Amino acid sequence: MSNNLGTVTQVIGSTLDAQFAEDQLPSIYNALKVELSRTVLGETTHETLWCEVAQHLGGGRVRAVALGSTDGLQRGAKILDTGSAVQVPVGTETLGRVFNMVGEAIDGLGPVTATNFRPIHSDPPEFKDLSSKTEIFETGIKVIDLLCPLVRGGKAGLFGGAGVGKTVIIQELIARLARFHSGYSCFAGVGERTREGNDLWLEMQEAQIGNTGKRVIDQTVMVFGQMNEPPGARLRVALSALTMAEYFRDQTGVDTLLFVDNIFRFSQAGSEVSALLGRMPSAVGYQPTLGTEMGELQERITSTVRGAVTSIQAIYVPADDYTDPAPATAFAHLDSTVNLERSISEKGIYPAVDPLASSSRIVAPELIGERHYKVARRVQVVLQRYRDLQDIIAILGIDELSEDDKVIVRRARKIERFLSQPFFVAEVFTGFPGIYCSREDTIRSFEELCDGKWDHLPDEAFMYVGAIEEAEAKAKKMAN
Amino acid sequence: MANRRVLVKRRKSIRNIRKITRTMQLIATARFQAAYNRAVATKPYNEKLAELVADLSSAAAASGGVEHPLLKENDANKTALVAITSTRGLCGGYNANVLRVAIEHLETQEKAGHAVDVHMAGKKGISYFRFLKRPMVEQITNVGDVPRFDQVEPIANALMESFIKGEISAAYVSYMKFVSTGTQRPVVIQLLPLARKAAETAEGELAPAPTGQVEFSPEPQKLLDSLLPASVRVQLFQAFTDAVVSEQVARMVAMKAATDAAGDMIKSLTREYNRARQTAITMELLDIVGGANALA
Repeated sequence: MSNNLGTVTQVIGSTLDAQFAEDQLPSIYNALKVELSRTVLGETTHETLWCEVAQHLGGGRVRAVALGSTDGLQRGAKILDTGSAVQVPVGTETLGRVFNMVGEAIDGLGPVTATNFRPIHSDPPEFKDLSSKTEIFETGIKVIDLLCPLVRGGKAGLFGGAGVGKTVIIQELIARLARFHSGYSCFAGVGERTREGNDLWLEMQEAQIGNTGKRVIDQTVMVFGQMNEPPGARLRVALSALTMAEYFRDQTGVDTLLFVDNIFRFSQAGSEVSALLGRMPSAVGYQPTLGTEMGELQERITSTVRGAVTSIQAIYVPADDYTDPAPATAFAHLDSTVNLERSISEKGIYPAVDPLASSSRIVAPELIGERHYKVARRVQVVLQRYRDLQDIIAILGIDELSEDDKVIVRRARKIERFLSQPFFVAEVFTGFPGIYCSREDTIRSFEELCDGKWDHLPDEAFMYVGAIEEAEAKAKKMAN
Repeated sequence: MANRRVLVKRRKSIRNIRKITRTMQLIATARFQAAYNRAVATKPYNEKLAELVADLSSAAAASGGVEHPLLKENDANKTALVAITSTRGLCGGYNANVLRVAIEHLETQEKAGHAVDVHMAGKKGISYFRFLKRPMVEQITNVGDVPRFDQVEPIANALMESFIKGEISAAYVSYMKFVSTGTQRPVVIQLLPLARKAAETAEGELAPAPTGQVEFSPEPQKLLDSLLPASVRVQLFQAFTDAVVSEQVARMVAMKAATDAAGDMIKSLTREYNRARQTAITMELLDIVGGANALA
């Protein structure tokens, strides 16, 4: 580590200016370290504050973003240039641990004995190294496997407004994928509730991987920069987790899962930082560099010829407006988009996936097979027709529809309900045990439903069941 | 939000729909009055005739074995059903209800082992049966909003003819019975054979029992020959006029509901539009103010 010392000259919220010697200016993205003492209720604590250089202001001055709280920071404090970007521990030693953004363990299990460190800023993999394999990643969730299948080694986004179940789905996917997954998992908690992170951590300690007797947490790294953290930390925490995942990909070649909850907070933190840095706001008050920031992060989350990173990201949609720049920017980077819709969650159908807005790059006959493709499209056609007819039904009533349309409407109502499914992680709330529905069962069930084989069952029988036979059994039970 | 234009467009289209449904409601109200008057006008004649037929047929039977082919039951393995539906839509559950009882009737007949000749009146019923791929022996489309007796008569005549020939063992008619403006009931009534309780099935209440000895002039046989077919024709005609009144009532109600529903929808769309508009204005102001402040 260098001994290039500077002086803090200005503190504005969570940004600060520092004066260095003109010929020893720290590079952009370099980590700076400053010791500060904070007195709360007469008790004084000493802490290390990490910062990251964001701008060069000229005359040896730099503007840096604080990666922790700046409470207690004073002008004139000595600030050290570490000579590189923030480095986080990587490797198998990190497994089973919980970190903050700068790579310090926060689970109270003592220091991490990692020997390898990596800077959180690096270049995305080169063009020639990118993997071109396309393979479906089965989740056992009917609506996702049918209409917007995840891609192994690809990126999936879960879009949704407040309280429609993004976090529940991401936790369900962790439960489903991490439990049957042989490789490693990384979880990045970005700007979400600390309580949710804690719940997840506890749950992972209990959950087992398959029948190996190993706990899920033993194969998982968790990195948190939650709502209470300053914007700088929330802006970089995804990179920290990504850096750890990249190491697994590059060095071990094992399939790695990267879960991020929530990418929107990354954009939001970027916008806060941008304002503090004095950049002119762009559309809807976002940072002018929104697209660049998102691109820098997303382009690194990718599979290479050495190993695959499958990432699943929750993306908050402010005010349910999908045209908002933050979700819109994230959209283009994803292989599979799962849109959660408030009107569906209001009907009590969970997961509240919008079957018409959700899509996946992989839904093509040459990738998932002719049959799957056709069934998926047929389901969408029926539901689309139903949606088109909705206004007519609302005004004139269902009796005015033609006989063919009535059949479609009745079938669509069944399909709509059949897209619901009990979750493993929601068992404590719903009382139903989770159900894994294989892709083959899913395709067959929806095919038969579209063929009209199950038109005689009551709509309610299709709620929260797995394969179609369970709907039949439920209908029988309801009849008694 | 970019969907403001979409909202305006939708609201406009719903406004147009409301305009149509409201007009339809007014037209149905006017037509209802006319149809109602017609239906009521034939009622006294109809009632009296039914009464007379009941009296005479029972009296004739009592006074010495007068037989008439329309009173005789036969054991043909086939029945006939005249199902009356509307030719136009936009009348709510009217057709669905009539067709439901018709189908129920068909199913019980078929279960009993009788084939059923379906005489379908009205385009809606015809297209429904085509959709179900059920056969119809006759499609009656010429009876419109103002049923004329000469349109209904041939249907009744044909039924009576095949009944007398022994081709069918019974004839039924299913239609929407007009009880009052508030109530219409889908019913299936038996036209043939003319049971002695014909008056009862047609009017819902028992005709007064014949009193005393009846003297026939001309001969009972001759009398019944002209009276019984007339009764069948009139009953069928009444069914058609009833159906028209019920249809207009159903349309009135359905169009009123549709107009109200459209109104509600316009209201909620207007609210949504106003909110989107306000949001867009606020957003633009924020952008302008933010930009100006950043430059200042």
